[in-house]
Amino acid sequence: MLKLDGLCKRFGRITAVDNLSLTIHRGEVFGLLGPNGAGKSTTVNMAVGLLAPDAGTVDVNGCGSPTQTDVRAHIGVAPQALSIYDELTGEENVTFFGRMQGLRGSKLAERVRWCLDFVSLADRRRDRASMYSGGMKRRLNLAVAVVHDPPLLLLDEPTVGVDPQSRNAVFDNIEALRADGRTIVYTTHYMEEAQRLCDRVGIIDQGRLMALDTVDNLITQHGGKSVVIADVAGEEVRVETQDPLAELAKFQNRGQLNRFKVEQPDLENVFLELTGRSLRD
Amino acid sequence: MNQIIALALKDLKLLLRDKAGFFFTFFFPLVYAVFFGSIFASQSKPIEGIRVAVVDEDQTPNSVAFIEELAAAPELDVLTTTRAAAGDLVRTGKRSAFIVLTQSFGEARDRMFWGDPATLELGVDPSRAAEAGMLEGVLMRYAMEGFQDAFANPDVMRDKAKTVLKDVADSDSINPIARAAMNRFFGELDRFMGEVPKFDDQNSAGQSENGDGSGGWQPVVIQSVAVAREYTGPKSAYEISFPQSMTWGVLGCTAAFGISLVIERTHGTLVRLRTAPIQRWKILGGKALACFVTTLATLTMLIVVGILLFGIRPSSYALLAMAFASVAAGFVGIMMFISVLGRTEQSASGIGWGVLTMMAMLGGGMVPLLFMPGWMKVASHASPVKWAIVAMEGAVWRNYTTTQMLLPCGILLAFGVVFFVFSTRVFRWTDH
Repeated sequence: MLKLDGLCKRFGRITAVDNLSLTIHRGEVFGLLGPNGAGKSTTVNMAVGLLAPDAGTVDVNGCGSPTQTDVRAHIGVAPQALSIYDELTGEENVTFFGRMQGLRGSKLAERVRWCLDFVSLADRRRDRASMYSGGMKRRLNLAVAVVHDPPLLLLDEPTVGVDPQSRNAVFDNIEALRADGRTIVYTTHYMEEAQRLCDRVGIIDQGRLMALDTVDNLITQHGGKSVVIADVAGEEVRVETQDPLAELAKFQNRGQLNRFKVEQPDLENVFLELTGRSLRD
Repeated sequence: MNQIIALALKDLKLLLRDKAGFFFTFFFPLVYAVFFGSIFASQSKPIEGIRVAVVDEDQTPNSVAFIEELAAAPELDVLTTTRAAAGDLVRTGKRSAFIVLTQSFGEARDRMFWGDPATLELGVDPSRAAEAGMLEGVLMRYAMEGFQDAFANPDVMRDKAKTVLKDVADSDSINPIARAAMNRFFGELDRFMGEVPKFDDQNSAGQSENGDGSGGWQPVVIQSVAVAREYTGPKSAYEISFPQSMTWGVLGCTAAFGISLVIERTHGTLVRLRTAPIQRWKILGGKALACFVTTLATLTMLIVVGILLFGIRPSSYALLAMAFASVAAGFVGIMMFISVLGRTEQSASGIGWGVLTMMAMLGGGMVPLLFMPGWMKVASHASPVKWAIVAMEGAVWRNYTTTQMLLPCGILLAFGVVFFVFSTRVFRWTDH
């Protein structure tokens, strides 16, 4: 669905993206994970045709570069910045951007209705966006991205600055879109989001792709061992192991296990292993 | 085309919902027009008489008659008073000047061609120096009218000649040669004036030209002839102030839409527009169309108010439409120029208004070009504001022909094209 091949982008002396190649398959949710400034947004901007790469190519759905106008019709984008008009109502925002996508008449009306229902803003559709909470604006930002029913969605940090309840609502929306068979590219620096939503994750740092695989494989390959912390005969025991269940079975067989806790490796550990620093640095 | 119209409608909707922006775009220029129109209107009223204090130290029939003539003069507003009071009135600025008819004024006025002349003292407020020359001219005119009357009336002239002959005979100070010359001249003048009615009787069967039978000759007679004059100036002061204020409305639209393009970029909506299947020129075209329509709406609203409430009567509505379209098109280009001046909306707003204010200052949008020094009038050709005012004045009160309108309208269109092409080439589509 989306193929990036040897992408490079420099801003002055800074290399934002350095020879980045990856292929995203139809129907998958692909996470682009990295700290702020890693090059995620630059990669997304090149993927949607906003930035021209200094080197490399982008192909969308086998149709060619998104710099071509008709190719961009295959893409829906929810930029990191809330790209909506505060003085227009929710309905007017979705309708306007639907028109920009070439929708007209009953098709447009139907898509606007669906989008507002999808993000649970139908009852607030006549309120100006300036009256919305941060979470509602994020959902409207998502609604505008899907108004033309695109097969490929690029969501750039779609949960930045929202409360946990709204974040869960956004997660529900994304899972519904995945269930509907859309391809989603999801950039974030929250590892929990990537672990929950993404089929595969690419870890990017300083413009380079450090690793690319499923979450489980990345953790297995780069996350290190699990840690079992147990109260054994009144004494706390800490054991690093590849097989926590086997360790717990040993303690149980001795009849000395009172309490236990298992700390499993996550993408934070993967990132630390790959880059030597934390995702939130 | 549908996308361009949708973009323009969106911008118009945003403008209408921005109350402050709406006020400054539509109503501020109206306030400006009414304010300056009122000022110009008060300046264009008929000139009032020069306020003078008159002192009669002679107190003779001649001096009293002269003061009555001055009081009746439309050029003067006369207050008769004492010398001390007159000085105070001028010093305190309540009167522009004082005039003193000195002693012997009346006696001197009866003399002709000899002796000391009738003397008027004139004291003028130093801050009214410009009025001093006019006042001297007015006094000389009324003083000469008595002399002219004597030549026009043979009986009066004969009385004066006889008085002079008697004075000359009574005087011991006149030398014999002058005495002989004056006796000869005034004797002949007396006889000549006695013959004038007879010439007139022979020429016009007893009726003089003025029909009073007194004959008389005048060096020149000025007759007023009714002429249906073609008036080409403004019919009211508002016809001057409205074109000026309308340019401020145009500048308001220009700034608002120029900055809105920067806001689109900084708020991210431009990114979303660019990821839509729409060409860049359509995005800018939509903004340009919205600016063009809003500018036309502002100009139309202002001229309608001017017509309905302030008596403005454009000389040609067709040429006015041509001027409006040219102004709107020209300033669409400048709107694009504003959008490339700053990276943020704050900087674009500050720099944009700075540039527009300079254009207004240079182009006569603030101070009329009439009051500018010569080099600045030449420099004003570089300001689109000047050509906007010229185009609108041409259609409102200068009675321009279509050919004459081509120059300002063509220059405005050229400004628009040059600025638009340049600005679209350097426009920053992203914040990177």
